Amino acid sequence: MAEILLPPNSRFIKGEKIDASDGAKRKKTFKIYRWSPDTKDAKGNVKNPRFDEVTIDLDKCGPMVLDALLYIKNNIDPTLTLRRSCREGICGSCAMNIDGTNTLACTKAIDDVNGDVQVSPLPHMPVVKDLVPDLNHVYAQYTTIEPWLKTDSPAPSRERLQSADDADILNGHDGHGPAACILCFCCSTSCPSYWWNADRFLGPAILLQAYRWIADSRDDATGERLDALEDPFRLYRCHTIMNCTNTCPKGLNPAKAIAEIKKMMVARQ
Amino acid sequence: MTDTSQTKVPRPLSPHLSIYNLPLTALMSITHRMTGAVLALGTLLWAAFLISAASGEEYYKMVMYAASSHMGRIILLLWSAALYFHMCNGIRHMIWDTGKFLEKDKAMRTNYVVILVAVIMTAVTWVCAYLK
Ligand code: SF4
Ligand code: SF4
Ligand code: FES
Repeated sequence: MAEILLPPNSRFIKGEKIDASDGAKRKKTFKIYRWSPDTKDAKGNVKNPRFDEVTIDLDKCGPMVLDALLYIKNNIDPTLTLRRSCREGICGSCAMNIDGTNTLACTKAIDDVNGDVQVSPLPHMPVVKDLVPDLNHVYAQYTTIEPWLKTDSPAPSRERLQSADDADILNGHDGHGPAACILCFCCSTSCPSYWWNADRFLGPAILLQAYRWIADSRDDATGERLDALEDPFRLYRCHTIMNCTNTCPKGLNPAKAIAEIKKMMVARQ
Repeated sequence: MTDTSQTKVPRPLSPHLSIYNLPLTALMSITHRMTGAVLALGTLLWAAFLISAASGEEYYKMVMYAASSHMGRIILLLWSAALYFHMCNGIRHMIWDTGKFLEKDKAMRTNYVVILVAVIMTAVTWVCAYLK
């Protein structure tokens, strides 16, 4: 059920304040979520999470929030832990909550945030360390939708072809179709329904992927895929709150994909 | 030494509601649920009214007196506003279920339409009520 408050081991203790701006003209303070299983108090108990405030000279680092985090990691505190790889918004690793909204640290400009920049891991997820959430559960949910092409016909000697219009359904005319999803999980972890029901609700990222296969003209398992979603929780916990679409850093529309699945459910009855 | 096998330390849950900057669509969704609850309660009041009307003039007068007091009017005003909001937003949900207006900008714009229409309908109702 909905637990509005964080569990006792997840509430914040007072963090540190580090000013490394050294009289800089352009400075900015980052409030960064920190937690490590290795940070213990005198009695040997693991300490609760905290927000550290680090002030840096913006002239010394690149323009994006990821640049600032890496600057802090390289120059101030090497224990700061986060995921990143491509630094250009295509791998989905650096997804986190910045200034109250889930997005990719590498494509979020520091200047877009007024005042201090608060950074925390993707919401309502178990934290492995600092900004790294445990994604095992979402990946397990991803496998349940069997994200691969299923066909009845024998394999042809070359690719299975598809008309340009059919391909458009996957790619979107503007390139913002479900096939453009990078599985960063910004959307799922922005969804209040997913927060409260992640054990049974698949969440927007996975449902968008489910739609990607349902809508694929080359896939023959549409009925089977819809059957698998016919469940009061897996699909129907979506109440069109629209957080997912509002937050997707790639400009995709999971809420609409979910509505399309719901429509197909009605249409086939 | 760090135990790398499987941390035995229970993992904390990352902050959610307390840090999330909820967009208007999310606030509308919460309001939709709250107005739904308010309307359910309001239905009880409505039932009380009907029962009193059926059980004699004296009770009817008592309820009418309560309803026309300041407090009664405020409750009725809120109830009617909740009713219109829930109705307008409910219609939007029905349109959404057909797959329309789900784009980010359109969903945002229809927020304002829902609020505006609900306010206008409430205002018109009360102006009519007072003009009579
Ligand atoms: S739909 Fe957008 S926010 Fe969700 S996982 Fe895909 S890219 Fe990320
Ligand atoms: S539209 Fe559905 S999936 Fe998206 S945030 Fe809302 S409830 Fe979650
Ligand atoms: S580092 Fe790859 S998406 Fe940000």
